[in-house]
Amino acid sequence: MTTAAPVSEAPAAGRTVVPQIALLVGGLVLLAAVAVLSMGVGARPVPPAEVVRALFDHHGTDDHVIVRDVRGPRALLAVAVGAALAVAGALIQTLARNPLAEPGILGVTAGAGFAITVGSALGLAVGQAGELGFAVLGSVLTALLVAAVGRRSPLRLVLTGVALTAVLSGVALGLRLMLPDVFDAYRFWSVGSLAAREQAPLALPVAAIVASLAGALLLSRALNALALGENVAQTLGAGVGRVRAVALVLITVLCGAATAVAGPILFVGLIVPHLVRKPAAGSVPWLVLYAMVLGPVLLLVADIGSRVLLPTGEVPVGIVTAFLGGPMLIWAVRRYGAGSL
Amino acid sequence: MSIRRTSGLVGAVSLALVLAGCGSSSEGGPDTAEQSGTRVFTADNGKITIPADPKRVVATGYAVPVMIEAGAPLVGISSWQRGEPMMTDEDLATYKKLTKVAGEQAAETNYEAVAEAEPDLIVIGVPAPVLGDIDVKRLESIAPVVAIGPTVPSAWRELSRKQADAAGALKKFDAAQDAYEAEAAELAAKYKDVLPKLKLGHVGAYGEVAKGTFQREFGGSWGTNVAEDVGAKYYGKVKESGPGSRSVSEYPSIEELPAAFGEADVLTYSVNADGSVPESVQYVLDSKLWKNLPAVKAGKTFPIRYTEAATYGQALKTLDAIDTSLAPLLKR
Repeated sequence: MTTAAPVSEAPAAGRTVVPQIALLVGGLVLLAAVAVLSMGVGARPVPPAEVVRALFDHHGTDDHVIVRDVRGPRALLAVAVGAALAVAGALIQTLARNPLAEPGILGVTAGAGFAITVGSALGLAVGQAGELGFAVLGSVLTALLVAAVGRRSPLRLVLTGVALTAVLSGVALGLRLMLPDVFDAYRFWSVGSLAAREQAPLALPVAAIVASLAGALLLSRALNALALGENVAQTLGAGVGRVRAVALVLITVLCGAATAVAGPILFVGLIVPHLVRKPAAGSVPWLVLYAMVLGPVLLLVADIGSRVLLPTGEVPVGIVTAFLGGPMLIWAVRRYGAGSL
Repeated sequence: MSIRRTSGLVGAVSLALVLAGCGSSSEGGPDTAEQSGTRVFTADNGKITIPADPKRVVATGYAVPVMIEAGAPLVGISSWQRGEPMMTDEDLATYKKLTKVAGEQAAETNYEAVAEAEPDLIVIGVPAPVLGDIDVKRLESIAPVVAIGPTVPSAWRELSRKQADAAGALKKFDAAQDAYEAEAAELAAKYKDVLPKLKLGHVGAYGEVAKGTFQREFGGSWGTNVAEDVGAKYYGKVKESGPGSRSVSEYPSIEELPAAFGEADVLTYSVNADGSVPESVQYVLDSKLWKNLPAVKAGKTFPIRYTEAATYGQALKTLDAIDTSLAPLLKR
């Protein structure tokens, strides 16, 4: 993954490793509890005991089918997407050394949206598999372009991503304004949602997310050095160019796969790294680990909200995270101060 | 053709009821006050003086298929692609031949093209709120404008009659209505020992069917109102009634399938005119919750084509589709 020499943890991180482990375990317990809750709450409430029975003693009743075939896959997807976006956010903020960076800043989300729009206009992005394919294609091509143009410096990378986002969004908007049917198809995708994915071919994107999360953990120690600045990192023996390239690939895969399967979900990639930065105490590995746990918790909670907010039907989870994300970001800034950003 | 309507249209249809203050009079048809060669007609946009016997009519929106079927003296129409699969070959040829003076959306009205058509009457068949997208004053400078738009789905009968009446084309319209009612009565007699005893549920495919939800249509909705003329009884009602089509259909979570259709003896679902299953309906059909339903286990699920019928001619096709689909019920 990297040729970087071992990098010492920050002194503060070394002193707080026991509480950090305890916090991580607490986070995992919270994640498990929220996951069980998410499989019990919805349009048809299912008691927690029945949720457990549905998972381990399945009898095919309506409750069991709802838990195992509708909410179960949905909860797993929330975990995967939440972790992907949060870790991608942690990586991009570290890489760009910009607290306002979020995964979409590299143009991946705009690329997916552009591809969905073009695919719909051509009549090819039909069905969940079609949408998924075009979203992945758009994400990857956009990321490649951004990386090719902006690979030399974090600032150039971000500027390229922002510029390409503006261009792709503008062209896609023009197409949608001219083609009402395309707009109609796009608008359902454009508001991120975890609903109705249980029948979609998700194995490949979820596998890509899991592999990239593992890669992010492996890379995180090298990123520790990069977070101190390029000169310091080089002095410490880190291969700056290679670390940055691998980080870019991971961010692209994580964000691209998450966006492809769930649509754009704002704020998770921006807010989670801020929420866990304080307990991570300057350590990128802990930042990534905490993000990997808190991202799914946040998305599961938002998804529960998306199911119960309306008396009939659902609110897309992308809207709920947007509502949660704003206040949470403000809270984080007030709680931890601008220094944490 | 996709049977999903655009959100704008559905929203507009819904809002039409909210704005009932500018809707048509309950009696429908022309007012009694008549002058030489003209009459006063009550429409969504007020009481309008129109020619008693129009010779050059421009029609838009839902009025397009009505006018073509009724043989109105059309000189221009809006594009109406969603209705093409339900038109007869003869009507489709007429539709294609006519000058298009507007696009699919009300905002795409070409005022110069309308003026060039030199109409003596303009019939706008869009929901009342969508009238805001049209410069009615500019159209009124060309010819009298009557707006007669859709409200609740099952009201297409009254609204189409009113549109045909405005254009002075009731003769052919009445013939189509008679044919429909005769066919409906015949089918009602055919299914009288079966249908009225059954509790039906319907999965629709229009409007805002968001991911993870399905459209349940109750009695009086697009997917059910023609079947009701045959004697079908769709049970239940919406949890929270809204304006327009929201009063007869709703979009629950897929998790509510058992609660929605658990009591149903028979389930029907909308399919496209070519028989293909819309994506939102296919999602329901592929769900294990659907396969758990008693009616599904009993094999009593039936696709219905032409559920968007909004004219008597189109509804005749719906009747045939219903008869073809429900025929197995008679053998059980």
